[in-house]
Amino acid sequence: MLKTTLRASVATVSLLAATSAFADVTVYTAGPAGLIEQLAAGFTEETGIAIEFFQATTGNIMARIEAEAANPVVDVLISASWDTATDFAERGWLAPYTSPNAATVPDFLQTDTAVAQGVAALAIAWNPTSGTPRPTEWSDLTAPEFQGLVNLPDPAQSGSAFELVAALMATSGIELFDSLAANGAIVAGANAEALNPVLQGAKAAVFGAVDYIALNNMAAGESIEVIFPESGTVIAPRPMMILNWSDNQTDAQAFIDYVLSDAGQAIVAAQNLMPARADVAADRALIADLTILPIDAEAVYGARAETLDAFAGAFAQ
Amino acid sequence: MAKSRAAISPTVALAAVGLSIVVAVPFLAIVLQAIFPTLGRGSFAAPFSAFAGALGDAALIGMAGNTLLLGFCVVVLSAVVSVPLAIARALFRVPGAAIWDVMFLIPFMIPPYIAVLGWIMTLQPRGYLFQLAGFDLGSFLFSLPGIVFVMTLNTFPVVYFAVSRTVETVGSRYADVARLFGATPARAFWRVTLPLSTPGLAASLLLVFAMAIEEYGTPAALGRRAGFDVLVTAIDLRVSDWPIDLPGAAILSLILVILSFCAFLLQRWVLNRRSYEATTGKPQDTSKRELGVWTFPVLALFALVAFVATILPLLAILATALSRTISGGLAWSNLSFRHFAAILGDTTGALKALSTSLSLGVGAALITGLLGALSAYAVVKSRARGRGVLDVLTILPNSLPGIVVAVGLILAWNQPWLPITPYNTSLILLLAYCCILLPQPVRYATAAFHQIGDNLEAAARVSGASSLTAFRRILLPLIAPSLLAAMLLVFAVATRELVASVVIAPVGVSTISTYIWRQFEQGSVGLGMAMAFVTILITTALPLIVLSLMGRRGSLL
Repeated sequence: MLKTTLRASVATVSLLAATSAFADVTVYTAGPAGLIEQLAAGFTEETGIAIEFFQATTGNIMARIEAEAANPVVDVLISASWDTATDFAERGWLAPYTSPNAATVPDFLQTDTAVAQGVAALAIAWNPTSGTPRPTEWSDLTAPEFQGLVNLPDPAQSGSAFELVAALMATSGIELFDSLAANGAIVAGANAEALNPVLQGAKAAVFGAVDYIALNNMAAGESIEVIFPESGTVIAPRPMMILNWSDNQTDAQAFIDYVLSDAGQAIVAAQNLMPARADVAADRALIADLTILPIDAEAVYGARAETLDAFAGAFAQ
Repeated sequence: MAKSRAAISPTVALAAVGLSIVVAVPFLAIVLQAIFPTLGRGSFAAPFSAFAGALGDAALIGMAGNTLLLGFCVVVLSAVVSVPLAIARALFRVPGAAIWDVMFLIPFMIPPYIAVLGWIMTLQPRGYLFQLAGFDLGSFLFSLPGIVFVMTLNTFPVVYFAVSRTVETVGSRYADVARLFGATPARAFWRVTLPLSTPGLAASLLLVFAMAIEEYGTPAALGRRAGFDVLVTAIDLRVSDWPIDLPGAAILSLILVILSFCAFLLQRWVLNRRSYEATTGKPQDTSKRELGVWTFPVLALFALVAFVATILPLLAILATALSRTISGGLAWSNLSFRHFAAILGDTTGALKALSTSLSLGVGAALITGLLGALSAYAVVKSRARGRGVLDVLTILPNSLPGIVVAVGLILAWNQPWLPITPYNTSLILLLAYCCILLPQPVRYATAAFHQIGDNLEAAARVSGASSLTAFRRILLPLIAPSLLAAMLLVFAVATRELVASVVIAPVGVSTISTYIWRQFEQGSVGLGMAMAFVTILITTALPLIVLSLMGRRGSLL
């Protein structure tokens, strides 16, 4: 029996070892998984260069890069939070690159070292069968009809939720969040965790849902509506960066070019994200259709701890 | 043999080498990370500079207290639920015993993050319970009792299987002797059978405590809303949210390790106070007693626990997997097989993830089973020096959060000077699973060794068997039932491990859990639940088939 066991474990081990392969370009990316799968397939088809990717939340990717820093393996990083691009540029980890395909990407969606893959926006995700009146403004969710029926993604866990909280605190003050809390709204984990109870009807609306996830749910037949308040919302551009330790700069640049090409941007748009290029159409509201709340990134992130404390204070009672 | 005190027995040496690779290396990396904040970048600058910040957190005392409270409550409730069931199962002829065993195995096969989502979707306002019965239990679920309830349903099988196995080994022989000397049945049970079964009970309760303080999914999903923060949620926050704080996470993990180490010392103190040898080589009467008038109440208890712990969560998972949309609710018009079709049609990479996880699960079960048996032998039966260190190594991973083990493995195995490394191959997942799950076989095997009389091995050695032969021919078969049960649990947990896999999975490799988690993250709950259901079926059926082919089912289940 010992022999059989040994043989079995040897077989398992060799099977496992065989599954690893060296890739030409290694991409670490935030979700959705379908997006990177299609981009990788399309890129390989066009150029013959293989892509290996690791997909996780932005936070988990950061932890992995941090732990790998002595011997990094990632060539291209795609984050769901623009903040990553600023942070990594400050650490001097990024290689400058401006793609020829980035000419029609608006200036606020690119820097020397990063360019947006696509853009998400935050919205109210509302369940029309919840028996509540259709909200059109953030403040509508403080109405008595929404008593105990509103979820907020945790700004401590989601970069875009944090920016929304910071921007709304600047325009409407902490009072908005005080009245939400008084109305029984709760902070419910990361983005997907906040949305699921709304689908089932346990809650009526998410205050600050990531729009493409809710739009995809709507396309799958869920009873959910995505509403962008006219007073304004925040956007979450998804930066693509080439790491300066990559010894694959040319192939990495080719991948960035592909994502910004007509074909690549069409794949982005098919995920219900806004394309980064202004000249690519999509079957959804685009940046030009939205009111964007002004954000002074430096000031906002400088006061991150204070903002989160004030937010937590409002919901602690 | 008496002369060879300097010579190290090969069994002990093997255990030492295996434990060093699987446990000591990542643990050392975590300790170094706690001390040297910039270790990830290969620098040993500013030692101990992160301690003040991590330990100065005002919320720390409260979180540590909550962690202990949660661990204690889950241990108590697990014991209350499973000990009566286990004793009935071990000493009496319970009708349908094998079926009940399978029923209690399944909760362990349900990944905790799936189980908790199933409970949320069942009990929250307008959930399945409300749709069927018109009321909901949301306020119960999102509270400390709710968390303890859900976690106990996930952990009680550990106690049930360990206690029923040990009580079975103790058997009724010793109690019969007590009765001959005039003890009442109750007195014989309390003074003889139960004390002799202490190793199994203590070992499994220790495991449950460690699992409870280390578990992330349930407290994160339920506790946050109740304002109930525990250490592991704080650790996860440091590892997965901006700004990443690896040293802080490492330091808080060491606190968890210390907590579980204290529990371990308590368990060892209990076990070392006296001898629990019950397997002496004398023939054992294994016949069980009839339940008599108690048949119906006992069956009702088994059925109730099986319904709440197994049937209800499975139904919730299945209902979600078969719903076209979640907002459609429980309606015939909403019935759809599209999620299962997507998995079987493998449009989403599901089958590849399945085969990856299943082979990793088998590998982890074999390695931890072998290493667990060797280590337990070295600790309990050998007189080798330093065996205390080995014992400590086997307990260390018990309470290390999976995500911290993952970080430790990256730090250890991604060093540029290593000529060859398992990092970025599937082997790193195997190492992670072995490290996280090793305590299970070790605890089970240790408990089993405590029950085996020393004279059995001595008899083999006197008759000329080498130490390895005696281990293989005498001791291994005697602990096989306990060890196999533990390996089954390892297989089940390894195939669904999420927290470490999410961070450490090699590029281009999906496991079952990362697949499911990606579906949830992108809002495809139905697809994730369909995958979870398929997985539960496979991870339950596969071990049962293997065991029945080996003809050992009777002895194990």
